[in-house]
Amino acid sequence: MRSLTHYCGTLRAAGVAAAAALLLAACAPGGNSEAGPVPSKPVSTGIGSEPVTLKLLVTSGVDVPFYTALGKLFRAKYSNVTVKVENQDYATLTTTIARTLAGNNVPDLVRVPQLGNLTKDHLLINLDPYAEAYGWHEWPQSQFASTRVGPDGRQRGTGSLYAAGAGFGLTGVYYNKALAQRIGMTRPPATVAEFEQLLAKAKDAGLQPIMINGKDGGSVYPLQNLVMSYAGDAQAVQDWNYTKPGASIDTAATVRAGTTLQRWGQAGYLPADVNDIDQTRAPAEFIKGNGVFFPSGNWQAPGLDKTGPGQFGFFLFPPGVAGGPSYTMTAAANLGIPAKSPNADVAAAFLDFAQTDQQARQETVTLGGLAPAGPSDAPAPTTPEGSAVAATVSAFQELLKSNGLVGFMADATASIHVNSLIPQTQLLLAGKTTPEAFAAKVQSDYERDLGR
Amino acid sequence: MQYSFYDWDGIGPATPAGLDNWKAIFTQPELLQSVVNAFVLVVFYTVLPVGLGLVAASFIRELKPGAFSTTARVVLFVPQVLPLVAAGIAWTWMYSSDGLVNQVLRAVGLDQYTRAWLGDFTFALPAVGVIGVWVMLGFCTVLLLAGIGKIDPALYEAARLDGAGPVSEFFAVTLPGLRRELVVCTTFTIIAALASFDVVQIATQGGPGYQTMVPGVQIYRMTFLQQHVGQASALAVFLAVVVLLVIWPIQRLGRQK
Repeated sequence: MRSLTHYCGTLRAAGVAAAAALLLAACAPGGNSEAGPVPSKPVSTGIGSEPVTLKLLVTSGVDVPFYTALGKLFRAKYSNVTVKVENQDYATLTTTIARTLAGNNVPDLVRVPQLGNLTKDHLLINLDPYAEAYGWHEWPQSQFASTRVGPDGRQRGTGSLYAAGAGFGLTGVYYNKALAQRIGMTRPPATVAEFEQLLAKAKDAGLQPIMINGKDGGSVYPLQNLVMSYAGDAQAVQDWNYTKPGASIDTAATVRAGTTLQRWGQAGYLPADVNDIDQTRAPAEFIKGNGVFFPSGNWQAPGLDKTGPGQFGFFLFPPGVAGGPSYTMTAAANLGIPAKSPNADVAAAFLDFAQTDQQARQETVTLGGLAPAGPSDAPAPTTPEGSAVAATVSAFQELLKSNGLVGFMADATASIHVNSLIPQTQLLLAGKTTPEAFAAKVQSDYERDLGR
Repeated sequence: MQYSFYDWDGIGPATPAGLDNWKAIFTQPELLQSVVNAFVLVVFYTVLPVGLGLVAASFIRELKPGAFSTTARVVLFVPQVLPLVAAGIAWTWMYSSDGLVNQVLRAVGLDQYTRAWLGDFTFALPAVGVIGVWVMLGFCTVLLLAGIGKIDPALYEAARLDGAGPVSEFFAVTLPGLRRELVVCTTFTIIAALASFDVVQIATQGGPGYQTMVPGVQIYRMTFLQQHVGQASALAVFLAVVVLLVIWPIQRLGRQK
């Protein structure tokens, strides 16, 4: 029976350890709040003449050649500044950014995937003084809404500015010009109902009406578009995205949007294996001609133009009623300045340069595959005639003027996308949840995320 | 353990949260379902590989040492040395609508059974489980083979003289002689099943719906994405306790004389 006593000993030790842990729990983990969020010294728009190395931390992929090119342009203008571009893949950056900015080896500019707790923990500087100094507040303001954070460190769309982007991603619907012609589409659909008729025609013609990646969240885009089209207004969604107190997505428009999307799934307008298609497979299938329409973002446009120049068009998701307002989800490729950066002035100058310099704006389109924002009187970059890129850039310019830019529901909280929107949309498309239950569940997950 | 009683984002100040983080484990359906899913995976990670591993090891023992038995060992052991991330991606391709699995089904005329395995609500979890079988089978087989090698050949001879066939020989000699190896096998594979993360994260991200969500992926998301370190710690401690509770009786079994 040695073994039994042996285990009793182990259990006793475990008990002691647990008690110790409970005692330890009396002293809380974590830091404390200090460090003001505003730059400690007066800001300057000057670069000085001292040699400076500006460290950028961006996401892997397209970002690297893009910011490297911007760095070269910047150095051509200010010879004492060397721009060094480091990168991490998007998922890694999302998970490590807080630790990086709280650590000792801090970049001067960082690509901010999500603001999350970065402002609450005072890891980014407040850009208001720079916005003032550079005159950003005279530009169309909808481009800055998503990176303003209120004094509670949580509500966005209001308060101080914490990041700004060289360019924007925006969503819409790509279409295969040849296949669209075959089903008699002469112009983009004017309403959701008209769009649905086109889907039915495509189905009847034996074509796959929509290609979309339901495995990792592509189907959340049309869902959000439908919500806004049916509401005829984006305010409710925008308030929800920016976590305005009392905002709810559990609305009639959401239920109606869920009903429509579910109907499209059941009618075979979406691929049969929609929940198994990811974001690399969807564009590949679409290029192959498997799909008349492909709801996605402008980041796909350079790739589509490369494989099939002139073959693919792009339109904004249609409104609920003819002539109604068009809304598009956009997200800026935001850069923030870490609170610990010693070169904040130079970093801010780089941010301003990326948004205003004509060559830099051209690179934003050509290399970044993004639509440039900035001042409303800035010259529009040139794009090849009839290309998908040209269509996305002109759509963005229109939306900027009409203030039709809306954030992604996926960005409302850090985990709403993976923990709620994606699985719930998958359940919806599989007919395993009702539109009513869908709307209620997303709302309750959202409130739990926010600790309400 | 300490963190699990706080609401903390890993950087800023922490606020006491009492037992809220612990309550959530038993009140949030998704968290509970992920624990249930992990136990379903135990069937695939433990029961099947150990069972099949026993069969495979017995067969390989019967084989004359030669090219074939070496090949069999290598093939079975390859999944152990491949990075799971690469394996997950490869399996994702094989399971896709036009992937190898469905091509084979079509080739033998079973068209009605083709489906997007990882996107199917019924079959996603078993499909992930099969990846687990594939990974764990080699480990179990090699371990059990080594165990069989240690059994005194005189015992087998005695069994033969008593007129035992291969099957009764297996139950009378091989199985009792492998007790320790079986304990190690089941312990190792159960821990792997309950703490599974990489295969699920790569192959399904917990989808479709919540069909393949497991605690490992939940903990990862809570820590890095939601920055709810307190909630993640509570779930991690809970998972560790569950693992211990499952492992303990098995260890006891192994020690009995």
